[in-house]
Amino acid sequence: MTPATQKSRALAIAVVSALAGITATALTLAGALPPHADAAVLVIAFPAFVLGLYLYWMAREGEADIPFVGY
Amino acid sequence: MIAELLFGTFFGLLLLGIHRKVIARIQRRPGPPVWQEILHMLKFSFKTTWVPATASAALFVGVVLVAIGIWTAALAVVLSGGSLLIVFAVYMLHKIVEHGFGLSSGSPYGKFGGVRSVISAASEIPLFVSVAGIALFTRSLIISDIVAYQEVHGPLLLTVPLAGLAMYLVLLSKMPFGPFSIVESKELVSGYKTEHFGVWRAGLEVCNGLKTYVLLTTFLLVFVGTMPFLFLLVGMLVLVVSLSFVCALCPMLSPYDSVTVQTIIAGLMLAYVSILVVVS
Repeated sequence: MTPATQKSRALAIAVVSALAGITATALTLAGALPPHADAAVLVIAFPAFVLGLYLYWMAREGEADIPFVGY
Repeated sequence: MIAELLFGTFFGLLLLGIHRKVIARIQRRPGPPVWQEILHMLKFSFKTTWVPATASAALFVGVVLVAIGIWTAALAVVLSGGSLLIVFAVYMLHKIVEHGFGLSSGSPYGKFGGVRSVISAASEIPLFVSVAGIALFTRSLIISDIVAYQEVHGPLLLTVPLAGLAMYLVLLSKMPFGPFSIVESKELVSGYKTEHFGVWRAGLEVCNGLKTYVLLTTFLLVFVGTMPFLFLLVGMLVLVVSLSFVCALCPMLSPYDSVTVQTIIAGLMLAYVSILVVVS
């Protein structure tokens, strides 16, 4: 898998989990979803969002630096 | 709940930063800025990340997700005024998660950290006997019922102070740089989290912030009762500063001494609750 593909996959995870969390909370506020269902969605979505977001902004699209090989 | 989740994470990290600052000032060091733990979390999230060759990849990554997920669940339980037993169950799950962190890495430092986590669980979990002291008075372990009881009868901290002390020791056990912080002691580098770097460590920092917020909120709700949100934050700050004093003034115990001290206290608590049962 190329670095660019990895980066876009991480972004997809972050976006999907954020949308799931926001939708569940919005539905709960509107009274269409019980609060425990909102919590259940967030238990799955929040960790996925955190790691997806971090992996997205950590990922490099180009080549990595040449590692230091000593003097 | 999203707002509470984000606020809890950042405020918990801020409290951990204040904890480090207070310890440093007591020890006459300048110490890091109070927002250092937030910066830590952000810094790690930008670091190059991979899975070590010796690690079990699925467990190595999965355990970070589980760590954040269980404390998200605990926050939901506390906010909804659910069962105190579920919060304690999450606390026990966190011990298993720490063990998973250590074992998944394949590093001897991580493994020793994981093993120490299980050892310390054997002595921390009996401290939950304090729950029996609470249940004797409130006849319920639902947080909302406990809060309602205190609105009528006053804070449980005054009614069962030793149960409060036992819970305080549970909090102390989870604070970094404390006398019972044997899972992260320096002879193990960073203990169970030694090999979790970059994004994985940033995820662990999120979990730590959330965990601190949830545990402090639970303590205040269960032993002091309901209060305005601002007072709750001030109460958490006071608790953290008091814990920082203990951490700054007490050396880290050896694993054997840590378990012995906690076991003795758990035994005393058991005797205290037995007396309460007989008296009531």
